[in-house]
Amino acid sequence: MTYIFNRLLSIILTLFLISVITFAVTNILPGDVAMMILGTQSNPTALAGLRHSLGLEDPLVVQYWRWMGGMLTGDFGHSLVFKVQIATLLVQKLKASALIVVVSMTIAISCAVPLGVWSAVYRNRWQDTVSSTIALFGISLPDFFWGIVLILIFARALGWLPSSGFVDPAQNFPSAIEHAFLPSLALGLGLMAQLTRVTRSTMTGVLNQEFIRVARAKGLGERVVVWRYALANAIGPVMTVAGLQIGYLFGGIIVVESLFNYTGMGWTTYQALLNRDVPLIQTSVFVIASAVMLINLVVDLLYFVVDPRIRAT
Amino acid sequence: MKRFITPKGVVGFALIVVIAAVGIAAPLVIPADMATRMTMSLRLKPPGFEHLLGTDQLGRDLLYRVMLGAHTSLLIAGAAVAMSVAFGLPLGIVSGYMGGWTDTALMRLVDTLLSFPALLLALTISAMLGPNIPNTILAIGIAFTPFLARIIRGEALRVAQMPYVEAARAAGANHFWMIVRHVLPNVFPLVIVQATISLAFAILAEAGLSFLGLGTQPPQSSWGLMIQASRDYLDVAPWTALVPGAAVALSVLGLNMFGDVLRDVLDPRSR
Repeated sequence: MTYIFNRLLSIILTLFLISVITFAVTNILPGDVAMMILGTQSNPTALAGLRHSLGLEDPLVVQYWRWMGGMLTGDFGHSLVFKVQIATLLVQKLKASALIVVVSMTIAISCAVPLGVWSAVYRNRWQDTVSSTIALFGISLPDFFWGIVLILIFARALGWLPSSGFVDPAQNFPSAIEHAFLPSLALGLGLMAQLTRVTRSTMTGVLNQEFIRVARAKGLGERVVVWRYALANAIGPVMTVAGLQIGYLFGGIIVVESLFNYTGMGWTTYQALLNRDVPLIQTSVFVIASAVMLINLVVDLLYFVVDPRIRAT
Repeated sequence: MKRFITPKGVVGFALIVVIAAVGIAAPLVIPADMATRMTMSLRLKPPGFEHLLGTDQLGRDLLYRVMLGAHTSLLIAGAAVAMSVAFGLPLGIVSGYMGGWTDTALMRLVDTLLSFPALLLALTISAMLGPNIPNTILAIGIAFTPFLARIIRGEALRVAQMPYVEAARAAGANHFWMIVRHVLPNVFPLVIVQATISLAFAILAEAGLSFLGLGTQPPQSSWGLMIQASRDYLDVAPWTALVPGAAVALSVLGLNMFGDVLRDVLDPRSR
């Protein structure tokens, strides 16, 4: 009980810190929201009037409290570029991005684990060289470059998949997956490479342990030893790294969604940044950082479910 | 020394040396107008004898552009990593060495910063400050600091708990002397490893920022900018994307390969 209470308290404290950092980054830096809205050529009285009505003359603490208080009561403010309520906008965009994040995570994990295991089992032989080389190339190319290569191959040359746009899964699911597939693959390749490397190194460690030798000695098949015994012990660190890479994914969606014109959270944040739509920047940055923090928390709890040793303590 | 001389280490090191040499020499040897002169009759020429790597949408030679891009990329990545080490090293060492409340408070802040995707943080800082080279360095440098601080803190903690350090502490050595004499030299190998790997990530980050128009600005040459510009000509001139893409890949690959070997040799945790 105390554990859950402490955990909750820590979440609230972290969310508060995230909001303070977000606010600091978007407010202490120079730049005048009123001038961004009206343009640099606008007349001083109009500017002063707008500054006053937006409350830009108030002390920062007051401005922060207005923002935070608004969010606590469900009012996330208005976007200057999209001219809509930020809350409705972000809910819609988050759903679009969730699709990409889930698909790319699925692609990454389902390729990385077998590749990493293969690499560890055939350590220092040609199979290992092949898979390690693939992984090294994977982490060395930027995701937007993968995106361009994928567009060239699958959209332009082969014409199998669309190269841009977003379709709502609720309206047309197959088409939504078609549109989400290439951006997810572009994001997933780098992640896959990272996870392959982690799987290889933890699997190598586990395969050298005593209990694996015992399992082999008592006549278990190699398949059972590797996939059932060794992998069960190696999957923990892989999950932790996958969880930590959620942050990388949420950074990556900004580039990849912009490249594919996939109108999700990343694309929206990018539009906000380009147009210096400060209220939208603030809230998107806050939402993304909070999402990353909460997903990592869920991964921690999953660890609890997967690893019986932690449950026992 | 012997352990550095693996095929991976040698290839990685060679790549780094070649790209660094190109990056340093490019602005000195390439005539200023060669890389910026626009010749419409030479637009989008494929790689050939006159232009080894072809030309871009404005008829500029891609070989020259990509070489100058190495300069921009290395300058920004190098300065950004230096900055994040300058911030992260003291933060990590103080936190790991002092422990207690200082450690808890500092690491709480660092962990919170780690919730912000590095690219998002860098993009936001760059957009708010206005994109140009110094601000790009600042943005990437700040965004990378928490990673370094976290890793250095772990190592400093390990060193601070070593018996001889505890003994020196018990004997009444002062904190500053302890950090300089004992903690810093022990943390140093890890800093080298992390800086190498961070450099690879910083090159990717610079390319990403410039690709999105929130990093290096034209007419400056940058690999990310070149890839951005190639987007409209992919069908007719795919080399305009592949050339800068290969440049990013080779430099990051070199740093990662060398970084892997460095880690195997220097990182105490992988021994």
